[in-house]
Amino acid sequence: MRLLEYESKQVFRKYGLPLVASILIEKPENIDTMLAQFSFPAIVKSQIAIGGRGKAGLIKIAHSREEAKSLCTEFFQREIAGFRVKAILIESLVNIKHEYYVSVALDTSSRQFFVIASAEGGVEIETVAKNTPEKILKIPFDLNHGLTDDKVDQVVKFLNLPESEYETAKKFFHTLWDIAHMSEATLVEVNPLVLAEEGLFAVDGKMILDEDADFRQPDTKILQQKKLSELEKIAKEAGFSFVELDGEVGILANGAGLTLALLDVLTDLNLKPANFLDVGGGASKERVFKALELLFKMNPKGVLINIYGGITRCDVVAEAVIEALKIFAEHPPMVIRLTGTKEKEGVELLHNAGMDAYADVLEAVNKLKEILEVKK
Amino acid sequence: MYISEKSKVVVQGITGGQGSFHAKLMKEYGTNIVAGVTPKKGGQEVHGISVFNTVQEAKDATSCDTSIVFVPARFVYGAVRESIKANIHLTCIITENVPVFDMLRLVELAKEHDVHLVGPNCPGMMVPDKIKLGIMPGNMCHYGGVSVIAKSGTLSYEITKAIGNAGIGVRAYVGIGGDPIRGTTMVDAAKYYNEDPQTKIIVLIGEIGGSEEEETAAFLKAYGKKPVVAYIAGKSAPEGKRMGHAGAIISGDVGTAIGKINALREAGALIGDTPWDIPKLIQKIQQDQ
Repeated sequence: MRLLEYESKQVFRKYGLPLVASILIEKPENIDTMLAQFSFPAIVKSQIAIGGRGKAGLIKIAHSREEAKSLCTEFFQREIAGFRVKAILIESLVNIKHEYYVSVALDTSSRQFFVIASAEGGVEIETVAKNTPEKILKIPFDLNHGLTDDKVDQVVKFLNLPESEYETAKKFFHTLWDIAHMSEATLVEVNPLVLAEEGLFAVDGKMILDEDADFRQPDTKILQQKKLSELEKIAKEAGFSFVELDGEVGILANGAGLTLALLDVLTDLNLKPANFLDVGGGASKERVFKALELLFKMNPKGVLINIYGGITRCDVVAEAVIEALKIFAEHPPMVIRLTGTKEKEGVELLHNAGMDAYADVLEAVNKLKEILEVKK
Repeated sequence: MYISEKSKVVVQGITGGQGSFHAKLMKEYGTNIVAGVTPKKGGQEVHGISVFNTVQEAKDATSCDTSIVFVPARFVYGAVRESIKANIHLTCIITENVPVFDMLRLVELAKEHDVHLVGPNCPGMMVPDKIKLGIMPGNMCHYGGVSVIAKSGTLSYEITKAIGNAGIGVRAYVGIGGDPIRGTTMVDAAKYYNEDPQTKIIVLIGEIGGSEEEETAAFLKAYGKKPVVAYIAGKSAPEGKRMGHAGAIISGDVGTAIGKINALREAGALIGDTPWDIPKLIQKIQQDQ
């Protein structure tokens, strides 16, 4: 789970990383009251779940309260690639002497953490990485040993910080690792880390938390709830994985890969998926029922169920389908593909309830296309 | 890899719903299941299989050498730690939603003890007609010369069944799982089957997210000895949205389907446009062989 800048900074603050003064505006109706508490000039930063906000003009300096107000009003209406601005962070300006890049990141290929640092921080860090990789230091370490003093020393020397800042910087790196380690994050990034006349500050921050650790990380659980749409919340509680898309065909499948492949096949046939819904391994009758309920709520033009049962049982899925159709008399046209574990039993249940099931997925997809075309 | 009809299997979490259900299916398939483990439930029997309190006890009594794990996510760390410390040479973790930090610790521990892990969040592995160590349907295919390596469970069932329906035999099926940190990576599995004399063709089934397909392509480009057929799911997936698997997310240009397809194609692999193209591509190679 990727955290927004302000969410990352809330974690940073808890661990004592140095931050500049700020206020957070979460709703457009709070703009006036919040701005009244802050002095200007200041920087106005949109909080949005996709990169490139600076280039999209969603981070700007406001020289006055009036200017901040008009920027906030504008930003709350903006979106990039379907992602809306969730909140606005306003921060004091500092007198920047130098910008650094620093992070602690898990590299999934080598299964090690890296501490990564560059004296050329800022938005162009990717260009630096590409054109002058020697300007970026990467030191691996493992979870058991953690980020040790000698490695921190190496990083601080590489960054060529003024000696007066050595101790602060060392503490900073140890804290970065504490944050990653304690909150089970796979990325903690500060870019830029700013050396200003006023001191050292984490001016922008990014974190990725492991959602699977939510049972022992209360903060992860809270943040997760906050990020989900209403429909996604229902899905999370019921235990399946769901993502809203902008098409019109509702999908219920099992297995992430199979669901993904189905989205590709439908997209190629110009049947635009309304969602990604992987009902998960070994789905109970209740879970499948809840998934269908959610799909019907979205009111798609048609619904495609695609189950290849391994740990999931076709008979259990069939029971849920029959139950759902009984309770939701008005539902979109539905095509079912059912194969794998307990296939015979599942198909028989459906037949007895007057429903067809396909064993072949392409036949099912073509059938759905046929139905939707007739409907048009 | 690492399993054969000689493997002696212990089922961890055998008294749970999934553990018990699949222990029965595996046994029916012919897998040599010699023991089950559930803490505090030693002495019971499940489908005629003796249950022990710990893996070590099971090993002392049955000399089991392979484990399959069905325990809930929060207990996986403890369960797998036990099997590693008992020197079980391969532990296959079916459970999903295992925390990343737990897997990192387990992968390190397995390395120290020189034992193998497969998974988590994976369907398991099988050598058709010989052993099924997992939750995959048993009737997908018969034994032959194609080795299938897949991240996703159900998608690989789909493709493996299509392979079987086309009359093509499968040497081994390995579901490595779709999590970011896993015991066996796609590169590990590709290296193994690249050297395996029984494997004539390798099938790779990947999906968006991470960079393993690209790394596997780089390995195959340099050292590949067998023809490769591949399918990558997620061409239509939008950026920034996690599609089910913890690993399946595109961020920037990292992890896109098209990047993986290009890398594999450059390494000489034939790429299926849909999952159902895979058998045809295999047959094309077989005709040329």
